Amino acid sequence: MSHNKSLRVAAAAVALALAGTTGFAMAAQVPAGVKLAAKQELTRNTGSEPESLDPVLAESVPANTITADLFEGLTATDSFGKVMPGVAESWKQTSPTTWVFKLRKNAKWSDGSAVTASDFVYGWQRFVEPKTASPYASTYGIFIQNGKEITEGKKPASSLGVKAVDKYTLEVQTPYPVPFMPSLVANTQLAPLPKATIDKFGKDWTKPGKMVSNGAFALKDWQVNSKIVVEKNAQYWDLKNVQLAKITYLPIEDHNADVKLYESGENDWVLELPSGTYDKYKAQYPKEIRNAPFLGLRYYSLNNKDPLLKDVRVRKALSMVLDRDILAKKVTADGQSPAYSAIVTGTAGADVTSYDWVKWPMAKRVEEAKKLLAEAGVKPGTKLKFAYNTSDYHKKMAIFAASEWKSKLGLNTELESLEFKVLLKKRHDADYQIARNGWNADYNDATTFLALVQCDNDQNDNKNCNAKAEALIKQGSDTTDQAKRKQLFTQAVKMIMDDYPMIPLLQYTAPRLVKSYVGGYGKNPMDRYRGKDLYIIQH
Amino acid sequence: MWSYTFRRVLATIPTLLAVITVCYLLLHLTPGGPFDGERKVSAAVLANLQAKYHLDLPLWQQYLYYIKSLLQGDLGASFRYADWSVNDLVGKALPVSAAIGGGAIVISLFIGVALGIVAALRQNSLIDYLVMLLGNIGGAFPSFVLGPVLVMVFAIGLEWLPAGGWDDFALRYMVLPMALLVFINISTIGRVMRGSMIEVLGSNFIRTARAKGLPMRTIVLRHALKPALMPVVSVIGPLAISSITAAVVTETVFGLPGLGKLIVNGAANRDYTLVLGLVVLVTVITVVLNLLVDLAYALLDPKIRY
Repeated sequence: MSHNKSLRVAAAAVALALAGTTGFAMAAQVPAGVKLAAKQELTRNTGSEPESLDPVLAESVPANTITADLFEGLTATDSFGKVMPGVAESWKQTSPTTWVFKLRKNAKWSDGSAVTASDFVYGWQRFVEPKTASPYASTYGIFIQNGKEITEGKKPASSLGVKAVDKYTLEVQTPYPVPFMPSLVANTQLAPLPKATIDKFGKDWTKPGKMVSNGAFALKDWQVNSKIVVEKNAQYWDLKNVQLAKITYLPIEDHNADVKLYESGENDWVLELPSGTYDKYKAQYPKEIRNAPFLGLRYYSLNNKDPLLKDVRVRKALSMVLDRDILAKKVTADGQSPAYSAIVTGTAGADVTSYDWVKWPMAKRVEEAKKLLAEAGVKPGTKLKFAYNTSDYHKKMAIFAASEWKSKLGLNTELESLEFKVLLKKRHDADYQIARNGWNADYNDATTFLALVQCDNDQNDNKNCNAKAEALIKQGSDTTDQAKRKQLFTQAVKMIMDDYPMIPLLQYTAPRLVKSYVGGYGKNPMDRYRGKDLYIIQH
Repeated sequence: MWSYTFRRVLATIPTLLAVITVCYLLLHLTPGGPFDGERKVSAAVLANLQAKYHLDLPLWQQYLYYIKSLLQGDLGASFRYADWSVNDLVGKALPVSAAIGGGAIVISLFIGVALGIVAALRQNSLIDYLVMLLGNIGGAFPSFVLGPVLVMVFAIGLEWLPAGGWDDFALRYMVLPMALLVFINISTIGRVMRGSMIEVLGSNFIRTARAKGLPMRTIVLRHALKPALMPVVSVIGPLAISSITAAVVTETVFGLPGLGKLIVNGAANRDYTLVLGLVVLVTVITVVLNLLVDLAYALLDPKIRY
């Protein structure tokens, strides 16, 4: 997606969110002239066995991919990331901290009963309830009045700022203005839930034959570690715009096995290509290779409390000599673009920042970096310790970074390959010097990326803190003027990034193989594709 | 023999307890916990999660709690797969592994023994060299090389069989993984059988049988086979155990929902209860198979009596 186009998409999403809406053209419309196949069945690899099909317990991409087909929240996003009406047909921000959603009267559960405002109240309360222990409770719950306190066990779930005004009107209170509310409620953690079914079956309510859902698809079969099958939900309100009759999700973790299944025709959708094979498959399957940037950042965390790295000059030197262009074009070579900010292209709510030295020739950058190191008293031969989780891809990048620091600055890097959970633990505990890191946006707003560099944020592995920038973020969060908010956030990001708390490297893309007969695949900035928007072209 | 079997089964209990205890401690000593994710959960959510899975209790209390549930036949709730209990997960994976691994071992036993006998009877002939070559290929090439080759040839090239996956014990999904395991296993069984048969055929009682003018067929099947099978029986136990419980590569290459993958993912996810449940299962399978091997000795060798 080009820079401008993605901005337009993001801007459109925000504009929709702000304006409130009625009467959209629906998604999943097949372009004129496209002939649909008689058999509308799709098999896609989701990459691993989902940890749960309970929307509030879903955390990973595989689980969220499937729950987004089974459940529908107040809104939904289409294949281009545009916010579309879901169960809500319209919404309005009636005060800086109040949103009112009008639900459609024809939305139904798969058992034929109506989806009402109280199903949302129940679902959201269950989501933040400490007993549920939803991993996302502290990520999304904090945007609803009292959500944070409920998760911490300080208030009862009934005090959550969500109310069924009547059967089809839902009122949401937020602790401060949340302009991206319409995008936020597209997440299925905030979907309605079928209370009667959950009360009846307990933990087993997500099993085939028991689950009642309100999305475009209903659960048909679940063979653990083998496949999950869903079929068109005959009760779905927008049934005429659902083309696929059946979706099979595979939990294939091995990238090579994924491609083999694709080549033998048993899989229509390779989730991720094996490391270093993008060019090969691009040449081999030019019509089937799909690659679009999404809201995700590859970066290296710098431990700002480390004796060596607590000096901003050292952090700056390390960042400025890493040639992101070579990293993108030669090392990773899968269509990713260089990144120099904590915010990536396409993010709503803040502009992407950059550094002056990005435009400098490398020789000048190296000269400046050497000067900075000399000023900081760091001598050539000084040792750096770099931790990454075992993977060919990360190893390749780590070796590149180490060689850049060695050849340009004379610094020796000790590479440490760790098991993923060990790296996570070390990162969270700040028990590292430099560590591989990455982040995918949870919703399209700058705050999801700001979390990575904000003072005392759980997601801040760098342990940096800029009090002045923090004040700007606070000010931006409290304002209802969207232009002002964006300007304050951008200013804060710039201020933080000038402290070099981390080394932004690349913006993620999703290079994958999808059969040319799979229609409706767009360029979703969140890399989320609902079955509702996809169809099989005659082939 | 029954009292021997009973004593062996009884001896399993302390073994099992020791294995569980060591494994329990090792799992908890490993850095990184079940709830360490890319997205760090807030302290409040972590506390909620730990309370849900009793991880907020002191370690010894958690251990006793686990042993208590185990005695009631409950392997606990999976930390990773919230919708399933460990009993569910193990119950679904075991039949898959038993079918693939167990089936493969039975087939490899027949083929391996037959090839070994043929090679031994035609020692240093072309057939012998071919069998040995096959054996060496199976032994030298790792399954992560042979597996994809099978897929390339039979799934992508000839399109005879699926490249992987699983559909409720449908035979077409079982053929390639079983073929891979059979190929690897017959290399060991064939080589052991050949060596052992050559040795037995050179022994005095076979010479006597020959001198009596018995046909070769009778000599091999009635007199030589039983003693020659002894070393094969020794290797079949460990082979069966690894085919059923540790066929991780085969399961990964073919995307099978078996035990091997479950145990590796369980360990990577720090799914304590799942790993412990599988360790219990693997220990039981090992003990049972070893017992069967020992009992088989008694059937084959008249000198052994329990």
